Amino acid sequence: MARFGSIEELHGFREMLRDNPQGKRPRIVVCAGTACQASSSSDIIRIAKKHIIEENLFDRISIGITGCHGFCEMGPFVLTLPQNAFYAQVKLEDVPRIIGAVLAGAYVEDLLYRDPKTGEVYRSRDDIPFFKNQRRSILGLNQHVDPIRINDYVAAMGYQALELALGRKDPAWVVGQVKRSGLRGRGGAGFLTGAKWELLARANGSSGKYLVCNADEGDPGAYMDRSILEGNPHSIIEGMTIGAYGTGATEGVVYVRNEYPLAIKHLTIALRQARDMGLLGENILGTGFSFDVSVVRGAGAFVCGEETALMRSIEGRTGEPRQRPPFPIEKGINGRPTSINNVETWANVPFIFRQGADEFARVGTPGNSGTKIFSLVGKIRNTGLVEVPMGVTIRRIVYDIGGGPSGKARIKAVQTGGPSGGCIPAEKFDLAIDYDSLAKAGSIMGSGGMIVMDENTCMVDVARYYMNFLRKESCGKCFTCRKGTQRMYELLDDITKGRGRLEDLDLLKELAVAVKESTMCGLGQTAANPVLSTLKYFRHEYERHIVDKRCDALVCKELTGAACQRTCPLGTEAWRYVAHIRRGEYDQAYRVIREANPFPSVCARVCNHPCESRCKAGDGGNQPVAIRALKRFVVDRVDPSVYKASKAAKSTPPPPRVAIVGAGPAGLAAAHYLSLQGYPSTVFESEDRPGGMLWGGIPEYRLPRETLRKEIDAVVDGNVTLECKKRLGVDMTIGGLFAEGFKAVFLALGAHKSRRLGLEGEDVAGVHPSMQFLKAYNLRGESLAQGHVGVVGGGNSAVDAARLALRQKGVKSVTIFYRRTREEMPAFEEEIEEALHEGVRLEVLVAPTRILSKSGKLTGVELLKNELGPLDASGRRAPVPVAGSEHVVELDTLIVGIGEEPTVECVTGENGTSVGLVDGNRVKTDCRTMSTSMPGVFAGGDVETGPKTVVDAIAAGKKAAAIIGRYLRGEALEQPAVPALPRIYVEPMPSGDGDAMDLPRVVPATLKVEARRSCMAEVEGVVSETDAVREASRCLRCDLEFTQPKPAAVKESA
Amino acid sequence: MITLNINGLNVSVEEGTTVLEAARFIGFPIPTLCHMDGLSPYGACRVCLVEIGKEPRTKLVSSCTYPAEEGLVVRTASSRVVRTRRMVIELLLASCPQSKVIQDLASSHGVNKQRFKQEHDDCILCGLCVRMCSEQMMAKAIGFSGRGNERALGTPFNVKSEACRQCGGCIYVCPACQLRCSYTEKDSPVCGGCQNLPPPCLEKEKFDDMMCFMSPCVACEIAPK
Repeated sequence: MARFGSIEELHGFREMLRDNPQGKRPRIVVCAGTACQASSSSDIIRIAKKHIIEENLFDRISIGITGCHGFCEMGPFVLTLPQNAFYAQVKLEDVPRIIGAVLAGAYVEDLLYRDPKTGEVYRSRDDIPFFKNQRRSILGLNQHVDPIRINDYVAAMGYQALELALGRKDPAWVVGQVKRSGLRGRGGAGFLTGAKWELLARANGSSGKYLVCNADEGDPGAYMDRSILEGNPHSIIEGMTIGAYGTGATEGVVYVRNEYPLAIKHLTIALRQARDMGLLGENILGTGFSFDVSVVRGAGAFVCGEETALMRSIEGRTGEPRQRPPFPIEKGINGRPTSINNVETWANVPFIFRQGADEFARVGTPGNSGTKIFSLVGKIRNTGLVEVPMGVTIRRIVYDIGGGPSGKARIKAVQTGGPSGGCIPAEKFDLAIDYDSLAKAGSIMGSGGMIVMDENTCMVDVARYYMNFLRKESCGKCFTCRKGTQRMYELLDDITKGRGRLEDLDLLKELAVAVKESTMCGLGQTAANPVLSTLKYFRHEYERHIVDKRCDALVCKELTGAACQRTCPLGTEAWRYVAHIRRGEYDQAYRVIREANPFPSVCARVCNHPCESRCKAGDGGNQPVAIRALKRFVVDRVDPSVYKASKAAKSTPPPPRVAIVGAGPAGLAAAHYLSLQGYPSTVFESEDRPGGMLWGGIPEYRLPRETLRKEIDAVVDGNVTLECKKRLGVDMTIGGLFAEGFKAVFLALGAHKSRRLGLEGEDVAGVHPSMQFLKAYNLRGESLAQGHVGVVGGGNSAVDAARLALRQKGVKSVTIFYRRTREEMPAFEEEIEEALHEGVRLEVLVAPTRILSKSGKLTGVELLKNELGPLDASGRRAPVPVAGSEHVVELDTLIVGIGEEPTVECVTGENGTSVGLVDGNRVKTDCRTMSTSMPGVFAGGDVETGPKTVVDAIAAGKKAAAIIGRYLRGEALEQPAVPALPRIYVEPMPSGDGDAMDLPRVVPATLKVEARRSCMAEVEGVVSETDAVREASRCLRCDLEFTQPKPAAVKESA
Repeated sequence: MITLNINGLNVSVEEGTTVLEAARFIGFPIPTLCHMDGLSPYGACRVCLVEIGKEPRTKLVSSCTYPAEEGLVVRTASSRVVRTRRMVIELLLASCPQSKVIQDLASSHGVNKQRFKQEHDDCILCGLCVRMCSEQMMAKAIGFSGRGNERALGTPFNVKSEACRQCGGCIYVCPACQLRCSYTEKDSPVCGGCQNLPPPCLEKEKFDDMMCFMSPCVACEIAPK
């Protein structure tokens, strides 16, 4: 290779390369960065080369093997030029088709990148949201450059900045330009690079000066430095050479961690090429200026990223930080002045000279100029490297570029800056990202790691993870760093294992502040950040772990046990009855179900099965075990008499009586569990029969009446007196109940009042609130719907009303109108699906504005279209009305199902005996003890929480019974929480042939759609015994970790 | 000569003097565990913390390693210093309660409880013995290995060292193993057997930058506000 003797020679060489017609050929570009290689991009390259050779296409197409482009989620990918088409997650067999398309100037439509959420296909890579919203001044170069071909870099205007810098023959100008650009160190602290260089230029360098490139990138989840070094090593060399010219440095060192073999390889090759071409070494480009760069490999200590430790490591000593001052700029490597800059900082230097310092400073915000690369990882749809101007908000990175959460769970925080950084909660996502505002929010920029966390991430566990990392990676010299991180880890570990105490939080904070204050280097001073920032923003999670012994993210094992049991409001041991089903022990399975739940047949049909939501078998895109279908199998098969409740013995004197208002699931469950404790109760019901929402709200085709009646009858035993058609506030008062001799009152009135639209004409004939509509049929057999029916709302009562209307005589069509999109409908997904299946139409993004009537009778409704507006704080797009989009739909019946609320007038009506309310429509309680503002009066279920599910109501009744029992015995109402862990060992069956995980989830048969019209027969069927046992075998038995007896130690025979 | 201000008093010292030396020179006592005249400054124990700089941009540094600078403002007994130092002592007590040196530090600073999991280490890794061995005995027989919570002291590969002359210098300087406190029990890590009653202090709040010359002057910081 020619060695350039002057700046002009290099310039001429570049012109020659750029004019080369070979460069104008169609080109396919494949990323061979570490991430894409892991998704086998090497094979793609091999196949592409083979195809080109076999088809003899050398003269017609070129292939570019480059470093990382940033969109690592979609690897391996192929980019084609000049179309700029982006083929994501390419398979080997696709390669010939892509090459064919490039040659023809066409697209392979089915392989183009398709947005997984919207389904939109993008022809040009630059239109893809991930790329469109970035500003890729540094990373953008990677796609043009084969890292091991210096000619690629030169042709992509590489070393032009060096020409400019050397051509001026004025080192002070070079430093001045960098200063002018306002570039701040990208390693994290954000010191002005120009100012640092100026200090180095001024320092006494009689025995030499050092420039160091810090490539000891050790933060978990951060890899932008690696991608630059791997993909474009020459930009670092060029940057350092320019820096050396400006500051008079004589030696350069790249300190790169040994875990980056590809980066080291590419860098070593690039250094050799640069030396060969006279761009490095003695007499660079014939200007008489000399500078060389060597590579030092780090041995894997995180602390060596700290500059003083890094210098000691380069010197060959133990990587331990030392006191500053003296700063490295005065006394660095071997006592000589040293300037240490991050990889990304160096990569920015040539860019500044190519663009001009002023142009560079124009990007970003004042005081934070230029772009910054972040590695966006965690629970995010588009994992990868993202380059944005400084000052962009976190929301933009997470939602516009990152595409929002990867799963269904909401994003709750972003962790920036690695172990030394902090967590920023979702409420603060409008924070502009720059050095100063991040520091103010309690985090740091750090090198640019950005880990997205959703509701399935436990913040205490995150803090614990980082503290575990730091206690191992602290150098251990400072006593407070070594012991402080260890002690913080111990405290956090105790909390995650349920051994924490509230005073530990104060100690943790005290210790964290002390560690921050008293340690010597940056590692120790920032080590407390993960603890301090999670304590600041997520203290409630800590308290939940300590007080309630619950980890809501279900991460902390010792507080979670089996996810199915933990997510069930009743604490049903789903794993246990599933295990019994697997063993064919159906009676035992029934007992497990019945013990936890007095309404097993109800829940087997209408429960929203939270147990399945976090089932481990459903991780990673698999299907969770069909727990509800298995429960249905058991309750339909087993006679309820196999369960014998253990009742408290009859006591003398007669035990105190309890009044329960409302015979819904909450009230009946409370009566049942009070009865088991030996307390008699009287349940008052305003309707003519018990059941509450179970009768009135849930239609027969979901819950057959005979099943419901049997289950209610079983609950109303000798200890329970039922009084129907008794209305609180009309037939009795709370005060009156106490006067009658009841010692406690449980309010379980439910939420039976439908919200109103608030439109004129809402009372004309043909308009029905959904609860009224449902009750009319369910309790009295009256069909109120006829002709064309419209239902407003997206909740369960709206969908129930729609499906019920469809079954009524004289109904021609049923349409649901909902103001947001289908994904956001609060109704259970399976109910929506069935409704659509049955022929209910769904119109989304519309809101009613006017009710049209003629002589007191409904004729139609005027609707206004909505469109999706900007993201709100929850990450959802709020519906925004479109002006002028009004249109009229003709209707004979309109059902309003936009939500229910409790009727609370009856509990507030009297003087001196009213209970306190929340928001004017719910009874105010202490959430731990369910007590209201009146002593002896408790409240639970929908009247306390607002509308929730059946299983929540049963759980509330069960909990209330326990609390009221304690109240009657004069014990403390609140009891220390104990995590409900699996305790009983059910021996697993030997696994049969084949992997149970490969089996599909069992789906119960459903009634034919044609048979459903004007028929109230139950829709969902029961699974067969074979299917049930097979489905049960899919259970991963999370309980065994807690219940399996430890195998006895095997004694060696003598 | 460099002039700096310690607790409101100006003091002139030679260049290269540390803040600790300057403070001791004019008589302000600063407790240390890892510092010893004749051995190089190390900065491991973090007991000798002082507050430097002017409000509001002050920070804590270890006085044994921080060089005296022209115009530097130092406070050796500010409430921030004492608060942090007490946490350091609590951590020391949690690791190494048998050391009389540490027990005395605890009692003189009014640290009368320890809230962490009790450990009974023999060593706080202050490094005095390592420096003694290499700088005064010229043996370099012992050193550190590992990092973080695995950092440990010993001979290379923990085998008997040829370089060790068994001079005992390491034991002589050790703050943890030389003077043993035999009164601590498993459940009460604070001994208090030799507790000194803190001397009375007058009108401290008027002189926040200052400290009296009685050692240790932390009484006013310890007194409940």
